[in-house]
Amino acid sequence: MVQAGALITDIGTSGPFVRVTFAAPAMASGLAAGRFVLADLGGYLRAPLFPARIEAEEFDVLISPRHAAAALQPGANVDLIGPLGRGFEIPAATERLLLVASTNYLPVLLPLAYQNQQKPGSAASLREKPGFSDGFSIALLLSASTAAELYPVRLLPPAVEVTIVTADGSAGQRGSMLDLFPDLVRWADCACIADDPATYPALAEIVRDVRAGSGRRFAQALVVPPVACGVGACQGCAVSVVRGTKLACTDGPVFDLLELR
Amino acid sequence: MTIDLAPNHKAGLVLANPVMPAAGCFGLGTEYARLVEVEALGALVVGPLTAHPRRGAESPRLVLTPGGVLLHTGLANPGLSAALRRYARAWARSPVPVIVHVAGTAPDEVASCCQRLSGLEAIAGLELGLPDTGDPDEATAIIQAAHASASQPLIVRLPLVWADALCQAAVEAGADALTVAAPPRGTAWYAPGNHFVTGRLYGPFVLPLALRALRRVAALVSIPLVGCGGVHTVEHARTFLRAGAAAVQIDGAIWRDPACLAHVARSLRI
Repeated sequence: MVQAGALITDIGTSGPFVRVTFAAPAMASGLAAGRFVLADLGGYLRAPLFPARIEAEEFDVLISPRHAAAALQPGANVDLIGPLGRGFEIPAATERLLLVASTNYLPVLLPLAYQNQQKPGSAASLREKPGFSDGFSIALLLSASTAAELYPVRLLPPAVEVTIVTADGSAGQRGSMLDLFPDLVRWADCACIADDPATYPALAEIVRDVRAGSGRRFAQALVVPPVACGVGACQGCAVSVVRGTKLACTDGPVFDLLELR
Repeated sequence: MTIDLAPNHKAGLVLANPVMPAAGCFGLGTEYARLVEVEALGALVVGPLTAHPRRGAESPRLVLTPGGVLLHTGLANPGLSAALRRYARAWARSPVPVIVHVAGTAPDEVASCCQRLSGLEAIAGLELGLPDTGDPDEATAIIQAAHASASQPLIVRLPLVWADALCQAAVEAGADALTVAAPPRGTAWYAPGNHFVTGRLYGPFVLPLALRALRRVAALVSIPLVGCGGVHTVEHARTFLRAGAAAVQIDGAIWRDPACLAHVARSLRI
């Protein structure tokens, strides 16, 4: 963990998001899906930024055009603290990885979607870890209100099997992610979820129903309350769990779905 | 040149620099180890701690407010025994004096904490928080309990609203120094949960409130004062020193810029 300036080297778009590339050699290699940096963007608190693509010395974030970081320009220097938190932990024996997100939260999961892509210079991929077979596959359950809000599937790695659900049926199946989650979670041997925490109790109930007895961290979910210090000093980013409270910044922000209250 | 925050105490509380973090903002001493140049500071203030573990408040604990933030932790802490097990070695290795902040919950609990901390060489001083009720009898009882139980110098952190009303009672009850002041309390609307949250307020807007309190206290007592509240820049810290503070604590500014602690400290080198 360091506090250091990061140079904005590129800004572009990626579907509905603004893509900002940070050159941050001091912290990029320590990032992973679900880990984050705190960026000084001028507000009283730093803004948490989650990497959507991680390379050896730089990383991308995908953010809403309304996000404060979307106003940055190439050449700007942003003070970052990171890498912080505990990200998604994929068991080495995983062969069927399920990613679940609504479009707004998808960028947090993208490093996992790219894990089975052999990219020169990228951070260690799952395939480089012992135990991953050639049969390793990734499915993504992506939800949105309507087709216009979806992240374009063509921008996702071809190897990722994408299932789309929209509330109005304008793309993919009509309904909510809860409708399709049971079948997919039966298939998976690890599920990584990034969505509005209000959906988590219903997702947890499904996991209990269809994957009773699954091991710890079978289903992992991202929870991001406002974060002040990022290091566990202020006790501000509490997340309610079955046995009390934990801190998003040091115990999370990725938690066992079944542990959340 | 040094500052003694407890010139009337047999051990004294000598600092090489007037700048330290405020209780509640710096954790228990190791959280910021990789981000803060501790050796540049005058002291570390760690805690708050209570005699027994406290789970603390439910989420949300943190709500953005105009110009700052509201924080309600419910005194979440591992309890004194666990804190000593986990952190006493780190405190003993600290290059600067360590001051433990004891939450002033009730006289019995405060006495228990202070007895446990008494005589520990790793701890150079105690800072005692007070309830925000403003009841001078309650405050006096808590301070007397701490004073009677602690061997280290005792700094009493006054509630901002009651600072001038309680300062003389605090001195008479045994305070060696006073921190002016604890962050003020406020209430914010938490829209996602459709409810209010009440907690302590942090932000630059606290500075004028704390300065006013410190100047009023400085006119009433003659023991060393530690200015606390809203310091975000070197100039803010200097303003506290001009107003009569012997030392300065930095609170919420640490979260946005941990490096500011050492920066302000170096700029105010004695």
